[in-house]
Amino acid sequence: MEIDSEKCTGCGRCLVYCPVEAISMKNREKPVVIQGKERTKVSVIDLDACAECGVCLRSARCPAGAIFQQELRYPRTIRSLMSDVLTIAEESQISGRGTEEMKTNEVTGRFKRGMVGVAIEVGRPITGTRLFDVEKIAMAVSALDVEFEPCNPVTSMMADAKRGKFKDELLNEKVLSAIVEFGIKTEQLPDLFNILEKSSREIDSVFSLDIACRLDPDGSNPTAPYIEASGLWVAPNGKTNVGLGRPLAE
Amino acid sequence: MTHTLHRLGTDISLLKEDFVVLVMPSKDINHVGSGPKLRRFFQLALEAGAIKIGDCRGGNEYYQGGVDRILENVEDRAVVHAVFKDRESLIRVLKSLKEADLGMSVVVSGLFDDVAECCQESGLKPHSINQSLGRWGATHKLPAGGVLEVHTMCGHGMVSVNLIRTMIDRVKTGKMTAEKAAEELFKPCMCGIFNPHRAAKLLTRLAAES
Repeated sequence: MEIDSEKCTGCGRCLVYCPVEAISMKNREKPVVIQGKERTKVSVIDLDACAECGVCLRSARCPAGAIFQQELRYPRTIRSLMSDVLTIAEESQISGRGTEEMKTNEVTGRFKRGMVGVAIEVGRPITGTRLFDVEKIAMAVSALDVEFEPCNPVTSMMADAKRGKFKDELLNEKVLSAIVEFGIKTEQLPDLFNILEKSSREIDSVFSLDIACRLDPDGSNPTAPYIEASGLWVAPNGKTNVGLGRPLAE
Repeated sequence: MTHTLHRLGTDISLLKEDFVVLVMPSKDINHVGSGPKLRRFFQLALEAGAIKIGDCRGGNEYYQGGVDRILENVEDRAVVHAVFKDRESLIRVLKSLKEADLGMSVVVSGLFDDVAECCQESGLKPHSINQSLGRWGATHKLPAGGVLEVHTMCGHGMVSVNLIRTMIDRVKTGKMTAEKAAEELFKPCMCGIFNPHRAAKLLTRLAAES
């Protein structure tokens, strides 16, 4: 995203809307007259820090119409794909950064009993992330011999999906978040937690971890013993697929 | 896309006022002709007492120009949502969805125990769950809990920390009501899953504490 300095009145309204604090106010080298008033300030977007999420353009409602979307070219297009919720991913054909995961599990059968879906959303919340941090996580969990979710756009960014190695030209791209997504056997959860505990000390951003599973026939949660044994915090709230999709996978 | 997960909450009483119902088709299985079914969900949600509706594909009511436009514009393959602030409304919409038998997948975000009880009262059996195991890594970079609770109601991270702090300040100085400030925070959340009812209560608390 960019700001047209010939239109910007320096009101500063846009600054607080940026989720990654990429917009700052600068003194102009020379005062200019815009909309009949002398302006000494101008808002500027740090393009290296900008994740191309589109929030400033849509939500700050610039009174001068100074914010505009510049033409994006690869690899910068990845920023918009992973940060702007209204961008449609080619792989999943849905908006957002992820996939259908457990949301349609009753019709896809993606996560069968004995399997756990894992999503490691790097950059969420708040910090955003460079893709080199996402790669660190992906390469670490590849030790579990996982298959990364093919419908997830992150998997398309890998040069070697077996190792979780990303394409070199993408590594320094900044995004609001990127989800490393795969399935494992339930009994692999302790190994996963150990890997992530180590990886979490090697990155400069945060990640949010979630696991998805089909419930047992009696309604119990098959992952509960593993979480309890690990001593990990688990939220009291989360997502429940209530099984209304049709046709059923089984 | 875990955007309705990871809604941080330290006050259980407020989490009891925060439910998001998501409805979507599945690619290449039942997405053809799904648009009218998703529109029907919106109608049922509004009848049941939804306080907000939204569409990941088209944007929220402010972006699209009103609630009616959301209903008009919904397409096949959309991912649509409704926000509810109490169990009674949630039970109403779940019962309506069961009866309507749209064939679309339905996911409820909220306290697991409460959602399970609401499913039972609606005659539904939970199929799968998705649990948040928290935040890892450089968590020292994150703001204090209250701000984080507000922020995480938009899972795509569209509601900035600085905007939240600005709204807390406006509430504290009497320039804006908590309800108006919460509505301002809703606007950047394109999917419309930000809960302004809960946010207003959090803003009131945060303004008093600051």
